[in-house]
Amino acid sequence: MEHEHAGSSTPLVIGEADELMRPATRRQFVQMMGAGGAILMLPGVFSACATTPVPGMGTSGGLMFDLRSDVGIFRLVHTLEQLEAAFYTAVVASPSFTTFFNGAEQELFTDLRNVELVHREFIRTTLGSQAVPDVRGTINGATLSTILSSRENILAASRLFEHLGVSGLNGAGKYIQDARNLLLAGKFVSVEARHAAALRDVAPPAGQNANTAFAGDDIVDQNGMDVKLEAGAVLDRAAATRIVQDGALSSRNITFAPTSRQGKPSADFFPTTP
Amino acid sequence: MNSSNQPILDGVDPEIMDRLVSRRDAIRKGASVSSTVAAGMAMGSVPVLLAALSKDAFAQTPSAILDVLQFAFILENLENEFYKAVLGTSAVSAQNAAFATVRAQIPESARQVFAQIQKHEQQHTDFLGNTAIPLFGGRAPSLSANDFDFTGGNGSGNGPFLQATTQIDHLLLVAQAVEDTGVRAYKGQAGRLLINGDDKADVALESALRIHSVEARHAAKIRRMRRSMSMGDRSLRFSGYVRGGGVAAAGAGNISNPPAGAVAALGLIYGGEDNTVHTVFNGVAAVNIDAATLSGLDLIGDSAAQRDAVTMAFDEPLTKDQVIAIVRGFIKDDAARGLP
Repeated sequence: MEHEHAGSSTPLVIGEADELMRPATRRQFVQMMGAGGAILMLPGVFSACATTPVPGMGTSGGLMFDLRSDVGIFRLVHTLEQLEAAFYTAVVASPSFTTFFNGAEQELFTDLRNVELVHREFIRTTLGSQAVPDVRGTINGATLSTILSSRENILAASRLFEHLGVSGLNGAGKYIQDARNLLLAGKFVSVEARHAAALRDVAPPAGQNANTAFAGDDIVDQNGMDVKLEAGAVLDRAAATRIVQDGALSSRNITFAPTSRQGKPSADFFPTTP
Repeated sequence: MNSSNQPILDGVDPEIMDRLVSRRDAIRKGASVSSTVAAGMAMGSVPVLLAALSKDAFAQTPSAILDVLQFAFILENLENEFYKAVLGTSAVSAQNAAFATVRAQIPESARQVFAQIQKHEQQHTDFLGNTAIPLFGGRAPSLSANDFDFTGGNGSGNGPFLQATTQIDHLLLVAQAVEDTGVRAYKGQAGRLLINGDDKADVALESALRIHSVEARHAAKIRRMRRSMSMGDRSLRFSGYVRGGGVAAAGAGNISNPPAGAVAALGLIYGGEDNTVHTVFNGVAAVNIDAATLSGLDLIGDSAAQRDAVTMAFDEPLTKDQVIAIVRGFIKDDAARGLP
């Protein structure tokens, strides 16, 4: 798990200055200073470390997330936005798109594709050198083909992705450390919630009232609150769709969870089929 | 301010620098210093110290959180009492009577939508009033249906949105505006709820975020209903997004002869929704990035299509003062209570 600090040639990656005050980290810090190591304050001085390997790439080549900083949280968001953008791009480009969906639904999916492309490019730009590499190569072609083969599959997968986005951002907000970054996450999450509601309006999950499914009792709890997941559960549910190749993305990719100084996990709320 | 799309590492926002400097002065004068700042000072590293000071300078307090919760409670009451009046379930018969004409025009499918939304607004008021506000040692403001004027007339019952009581297209426009205002209000307050590692603040923040996304679901559904009734009005999206800003973002094109007061109010409610410049703080500096100048968007289409997508991709906040300016006409003046 903690292979990021494996060698003395690896810079110490910290999310906050006071992480240096923790004995384990300070010991590492002293050792590294003795060995001529460097401190990497996320993501500030990254440009000074041109020879640093791509951050967040584990030794196995998988995506790794250190959620102790806002950058780490936005890297996870960037991963999800990449998957969504790739998925909707494939949906709209699919030969069956205009036969599966009527004009109103085509407008909906085209808007979804366009907005997810904007999200993907915006986060990529903000993260600069810390941006997550292109994940399209990890997409499982067989799974994607199965989803694209029917209207129902496309709608069900779309609903799941949007609800993962809403629940993940709702769960991650408390760990974000800067109010401006929290506002940015807020600008994304209500847009994702609009997607989620529109998709459930088009295709309610089995057993849901078509008139109220947009904010049905399965996704809004008795306090009137929306879905919410901790980050690990978001990744595991995304992996369970097998939209990415097995092993490419799961809660195991979180090398460091948020610290208790950022916040504590709360109970998740998410239906089997959103 | 840097609004180009350079990596976020370039340039320190001058405003942030000013605040940092004044904060440093405060520390020099003997103000208490958080452990984060102390660590940064001990390090003697400029980026680390800047990051630590900046974070500390934005710290929130429990009293700020209580203020947010009480503000939210008033807005949720406004929403809840509005839908109760529409549905004819208000405790005040005059409020029910005011909407009798339009109520007769509401099809059963739309009635179920209103009822579902009203249920959520009731749950929000109950949670805020019974759980969240007491958690911070406060008491919920005392409000009843009598305190509201849903025509926006500040008690006259003859405000700019009077037509919502007699015409369903106006009613849906008002419902959409109410929901979008709620989304923007919560978004604008989220930062005031942020105290990392504080269990009570975490409850307030996470609850607010989860309510915020429910309000966005409501707004999206109503936008879809309005588009279905006016298929040619493409400013109302089937995706439920807010496209563009100002009155145009309201999708009021299908409303005949809206009063000037309603147009002005919609201008406030959707003002700034077309903002494309967003701020990111990377631990060292705040950087503004203009999403309208992003590359990699060619698949969307021409520059106009890209700009539409960029405005839809970000919902924008309103400040508390901006929200008060919007809702002032819907809440009767009460010297004892004061304005929200």
